[in-house]
Amino acid sequence: MSRLAAAALVLGAVAAAQDLKLSAESRRPDPFGGIVAADSAGGAVLGESLRLASARGNYVSCHLAVLLPDGGDYQLRVSVPPRSGLEAGLFREWFHRLKAGGAYYPDALVPVDSGYSGHLPDRDNRIERQTAQAFWLDIWIPPASPPGVYDVVAAVSSGGKSVARKVQVEVLAAVVPPEDALSIDHNSYGSQWLAGYYPSAVRAEGKFFASPSFFRLIHDYHRLFYEHRGIFHQLGYGHGGKVGPEFAPALAGEGRKRHIASWDLYDRHYGPLLDGTAFAQSRRPDQPIPYVYLPVNPEWPASFVNWGEPGYEVEFVNVVSEMERHFREKGWTKTRFELFFNHKKRYKAFPWDGDETRFPRDYEYFREYRRLLDLAVPKDSPVRFVFRTDASWTMEQQFKELAGVINFWVCGGGMFSWYPEAVPLLKGRGDIVWSYGGTPSVDQPPVHVATGVARAWMWNIDGFVRWLTTDPGSDPWFNFGGGDTVLAYPGDRFGISGPIPSLRLKVERNVAADLAMLKSIEKTKGPASVRTAVARQFNGTTPEQWWTPRPPLAGTPPQDWSNDDLDKVPQPDRDKFDHLDPDAWQRVRNYILEQVKERP
Amino acid sequence: MKFPAALSVALVAACAQEPPADLARDLDMVARTASVMVDGDVCKRIQTERSMGYMLKEHPKDPWFASDNFDVNHAAYIQTKKTLIRLSRLVSFPCDVNLWMPVPANPPRIQILIRNVHEMSQFWKWGDLHQEIPEEMKRVLAGEGRITASRRGGMVSVLAPVYDSLGAIAGLVEVVGRPAQDPQENVK
Repeated sequence: MSRLAAAALVLGAVAAAQDLKLSAESRRPDPFGGIVAADSAGGAVLGESLRLASARGNYVSCHLAVLLPDGGDYQLRVSVPPRSGLEAGLFREWFHRLKAGGAYYPDALVPVDSGYSGHLPDRDNRIERQTAQAFWLDIWIPPASPPGVYDVVAAVSSGGKSVARKVQVEVLAAVVPPEDALSIDHNSYGSQWLAGYYPSAVRAEGKFFASPSFFRLIHDYHRLFYEHRGIFHQLGYGHGGKVGPEFAPALAGEGRKRHIASWDLYDRHYGPLLDGTAFAQSRRPDQPIPYVYLPVNPEWPASFVNWGEPGYEVEFVNVVSEMERHFREKGWTKTRFELFFNHKKRYKAFPWDGDETRFPRDYEYFREYRRLLDLAVPKDSPVRFVFRTDASWTMEQQFKELAGVINFWVCGGGMFSWYPEAVPLLKGRGDIVWSYGGTPSVDQPPVHVATGVARAWMWNIDGFVRWLTTDPGSDPWFNFGGGDTVLAYPGDRFGISGPIPSLRLKVERNVAADLAMLKSIEKTKGPASVRTAVARQFNGTTPEQWWTPRPPLAGTPPQDWSNDDLDKVPQPDRDKFDHLDPDAWQRVRNYILEQVKERP
Repeated sequence: MKFPAALSVALVAACAQEPPADLARDLDMVARTASVMVDGDVCKRIQTERSMGYMLKEHPKDPWFASDNFDVNHAAYIQTKKTLIRLSRLVSFPCDVNLWMPVPANPPRIQILIRNVHEMSQFWKWGDLHQEIPEEMKRVLAGEGRITASRRGGMVSVLAPVYDSLGAIAGLVEVVGRPAQDPQENVK
């Protein structure tokens, strides 16, 4: 590690008596005084000192591990120096027992006071012979903090004895831009799951799905992701076109008489999100959500029974026009309202694929909806409607054939990596381009959280999507499937009436802040130079290696491809991404810190 | 609306019921009408030949091989779906009329081929491209006429045959409703 390393692991033996140890965010403690297997490359163990550094307007993070070999009660206290401006946030790390293999990995982060009383083994986590409790420490450096080096002190006391450790925080003069380098999206579907995750709220409310608690919960999820430099999407309709009442204005009438009868639930849901007031207490500037799905689908607002007939056009145009007018009157002009189709014909409700379109015959539907949208929305409207499609099989053809129809592309990362020329093509005509990909499970090094996000940045596109980010599985606490989608857990079992973050979401946030800093550094160093350095630091690659050489398969009809064909596409550099060492992103961060320190 | 006169009478009668006095009776009325109105020859043309060719193929390394190749002829699909939607409007409560078609296999299987807005069905497991033929459906396909079933989540389904121009049973409809709706269900 360089002299400027933001995190320094100290090698040493695990203490036999009570102790407090530290580790970098990339090295997760286990419940027995060590480092989890996935993060233990290089023989890393918990250490006794740590130095973190960052520009202002950002977080630095690390793990604290309370060690009590003989068990018992303990108190943990974290204090920040006065006048530093620093603010500490402490989270108890929940050790999830994996369904496969039974290993324990920390991920859900339960917020606790910076003066915390606990017991080992933890009575709630129920781990036999547990001797260590891990905590995630977030240290917020406000933009107005005086630059300097500060000691954040963590102390544990048990049985009348205390141990204190210092986390040195170097606050640099630079400020991390509040604007993100790209959108990191967290997707979810509907809101029925909220009732399952928050039984306490359901019990407390008569009509939960129209209650203040329900809308507060939705806003809480948005706030959680927003605070973590991300965004949150909830799709509000099903594959057959059923629309959740809170996702769409209520309609009445048919044909020429179809109209919006009530905005009540829609405005309660979206109003605070679209005017930004939902984020008023945030450490980030409160601003409206940048994107939102519209409830429009083949069955709403026009009924498919009239598809191809004048009545379909009338119902669609009248209602969408009313929506445009409502949004304009409310001043909701900063958010992009997405016309997006999620259905697939394999689910048997409509005859064409709205999502991941595989058959070119289906393009005609997109063209028709573009025509209808253009009829509904005045050309000079300040309301920003966009037409989004999530593309995979035929994306290369769609880029050409649906030019001027689709202007928001969300592309499967694997296939998109064959088409580097698509970026200038699409962005050159003003389209928005995101990629989508998976989320690493908890038994992989957290650094893998960075890969999909960093790839989107490396490709110079506008965003990256993870799906099912609120679904923890049937028993995340004691029989965990690995969490290869979830990044926000329900807090209900901890007495918290809202979502709690995952450790991986924290890592993602810190990566997002680094990317914002890189975007700033690009202005002086140039994008090519910065990308070359980041690729080298991350995994010894070049920016070109973040793309996949165009395979011969790409020249054949996509309708004939199988997933096995896709799996067989040669990816000469795949190993470099599949087997990252835990410190891969820390090296990027060190590079950023060096650049920041060099600047006047 | 383009309903035949006879159906208009039924529609008026049905719309007067709120909530339904007898769910099964109302669904049976829709099912009986569906047997007359749904064109079995058109239904047989819905799935493309290419798609049918992939339907029963299994790829050793691609579990989505058949579903990725599922495709339909738009005109036949749309014509039939519109009929099914109109049929569901014969009652004033939320109702779906689903189309089920046999899949030539050994032993024979069946697929839900058109679903509708409430995504109700007592027989479909979400995501299945095709499935074993439930006993109730076997009986309908064997010519026993309409059958009422209530096996899942308080739903009531009336299964009714769909005929082609030769008088043969081409498939069946599942006319399904339930006493209480969950507005958030199936929004996913």
